[in-house]
Amino acid sequence: MTTPQPVPAQPTPPRREASQPVPAREAAPANRLAARGLTLAYEDRVVVDGLDLEIPDGRVTVIVGPNACGKSTLLRALGRLLKPRNGSVLLDGAELACVPTRQIARTLGLLPQSPVPPEGITVADLVSRGRQPHQKWWQQWSESDERLVAEAMERTATSDLAGRLVDELSGGQRQRAWIAMALAQDTDLLLLDEPTTFLDIAHQVEVLDLVRRLNRERGRTVVAVLHDLNQAARYADHLIAMKAGLIVAEGPPGEVVTAELVREVFGLASVVVPDPVTGSPLVVPGAPWQPSGPAAREAQDAQDATATPHP
Amino acid sequence: MRPAGYAVVRPGGRASFLVHRRAFAVTCVLAALLAAACVAYLCVGESFVAPGEVVKVVFGRPSPDELVVGELREPRLALGLLVGAAFGVSGALIQTVARNPLASPDVIGVTHGAGAVTVAAMTYGVTSYTALPYLSIAGGLAAAALVYVFAWRRGLHAARFVLIGIGCSVALSSVTQLFLTKGDYLVAQQAKVWLTGSLNGRGYAEARPLALVLLLAVPCALWAARAQRTVSFDDDTATALGVRLGRVRFGLVALGVVLASVATGAAGPVDFVALLAPQIARRLTRTAQIPLPAAALTGALVVVVADLLARKLFSPTELPVGVMTAAVGAPYLMWLIVRGRSRSGEPS
Ligand SMILES: Nc1ncnc2c1ncn2[C@@H]1O[C@H](COP(=O)(O)OP(=O)(O)O)[C@@H](O)[C@H]1O
Ligand SMILES: [Mg+2]
Repeated sequence: MTTPQPVPAQPTPPRREASQPVPAREAAPANRLAARGLTLAYEDRVVVDGLDLEIPDGRVTVIVGPNACGKSTLLRALGRLLKPRNGSVLLDGAELACVPTRQIARTLGLLPQSPVPPEGITVADLVSRGRQPHQKWWQQWSESDERLVAEAMERTATSDLAGRLVDELSGGQRQRAWIAMALAQDTDLLLLDEPTTFLDIAHQVEVLDLVRRLNRERGRTVVAVLHDLNQAARYADHLIAMKAGLIVAEGPPGEVVTAELVREVFGLASVVVPDPVTGSPLVVPGAPWQPSGPAAREAQDAQDATATPHP
Repeated sequence: MRPAGYAVVRPGGRASFLVHRRAFAVTCVLAALLAAACVAYLCVGESFVAPGEVVKVVFGRPSPDELVVGELREPRLALGLLVGAAFGVSGALIQTVARNPLASPDVIGVTHGAGAVTVAAMTYGVTSYTALPYLSIAGGLAAAALVYVFAWRRGLHAARFVLIGIGCSVALSSVTQLFLTKGDYLVAQQAKVWLTGSLNGRGYAEARPLALVLLLAVPCALWAARAQRTVSFDDDTATALGVRLGRVRFGLVALGVVLASVATGAAGPVDFVALLAPQIARRLTRTAQIPLPAAALTGALVVVVADLLARKLFSPTELPVGVMTAAVGAPYLMWLIVRGRSRSGEPS
């Protein structure tokens, strides 16, 4: 697999941006979560080949890329759900495969792309199970369990749904219940796979704001896969653009998101303008009803040059 | 925030236990019903014994009915209770791992493995009632182990587990049929009774090993009940919550298979108890996982009531209990399901 723009093999030093309270552990020599020479495969299909990655501590990292490029696969490997074919994931310097999975669960939480709840479970019951890695069989419910579950439900506005069955919720309500469960796990690192799917725009913003608050107020390190490039650019401190299992570009969204990159990664002609609210890059697709195919793309390129979104 | 419907019990120190209120109440009611069913079981038979005398015998006081109650009915009741409880818990564990309400020890090979080995042994002239139970236990364990190994492919896939279990069961039951048609008429007759599951003429000799296994299973069940909270998620979510899925699933299946095998060795494959009891229990308690104590009590209740009917309805002919268990449990489960459907929010 080749890409025109080579992957930076060396870990990029965490970039410091204005406006950010920097957690103390950023002074540590290495980031808490990193991958070295990671090769990921299902059966005989290699999805990610020899990838190096640093997740900057205390930052919100967002992974973007076209469908099926391996975002979920990468996230699953970072969360020890997928064993690497080759290479390793390091958590606090230790290879993930060598750390007891329960111990990982106290440090690193992960919300999969399409989690399946136990049948007939209520929202509060679901959220409370996020506490499981912190409990023992003879200590099933502590004061902090009580507090953290209440807090997680409050933050995700699911307190009112406490007694409802998860099976009965709307897609958005259900997604918020899952996020509440991940929050209740109370981990320093949180990996979220498309946490805004199924949510209407207001709830998307709510969830992303929540992610940012967790990061800014609590210093949590968050890695999220998002499918909306503009939201990624708004909320990411560190943006990773993937294509076909490779990292095409990474860094602050302001540097990473360009019309050039959007074309390369998504095959989409677009105009990138500053977001009128945040100043972050805003990707405006070139034309509606974009046809695919090389001829059409050429036409798009030509149109691109005029830098106007109108045909 | 505490999950709705749960109470926290703090017995002292830093220990704390989450107790599902409704499950606790249902368990108490089931225990009371079971106690009543046991008294009824001891009263009813070819001759009726007054409940007062029954209680006397149970507590070891002298009574004119000591022989009928103490020697004939009580051992059989004890075996029925244990078999029912073992099948109930076994079904609950297998259904949890298979994530399938239709799964049971029958489906993953235990019953048919035990059946094939037992009938084969009978055909080849093994009639010893001490050897046969152990052969059948070995058959059940071996078949389940085989299914588990075949279903394993970088982890246990729930649907694969069930499908391979069904495949093996069908193959093994054809082996059983082969021996049934091959063997002589008397052996076939005896084998048929065993294959239906029967408490006739059995008692403490069969109950003792089963009681021991159940006793050992109690601490395991405490662990299993805790594990049930997380294995009922999808694989990724469960792992993210810190569960070592491979080991936990193996532990749950092993416990379920051992219980079902030993119960099958004691009484033969008592049909449908392992399938029905957990589902009845879960619908009664409305918990998100199958409650093990309630499943055990429901299993015991189904077997005791079924055997009571099997002894009494066609008296003096004593039918094998396996003929009646489905008749007792199935209509009740169907009623629960139909009632659940009509009420919104009840899982079906
Ligand atoms: N469990 C699986 N078994 C086999 N192939 C898979 C599995 N999960 C994902 N894949 C394949 O791996 C590739 C990357 O998938 P994924 O990481 O889910 O992509 P996305 O970037 O959309 O999250 C896809 O081609 C997909 O078909
Ligand atoms: Mg994905």
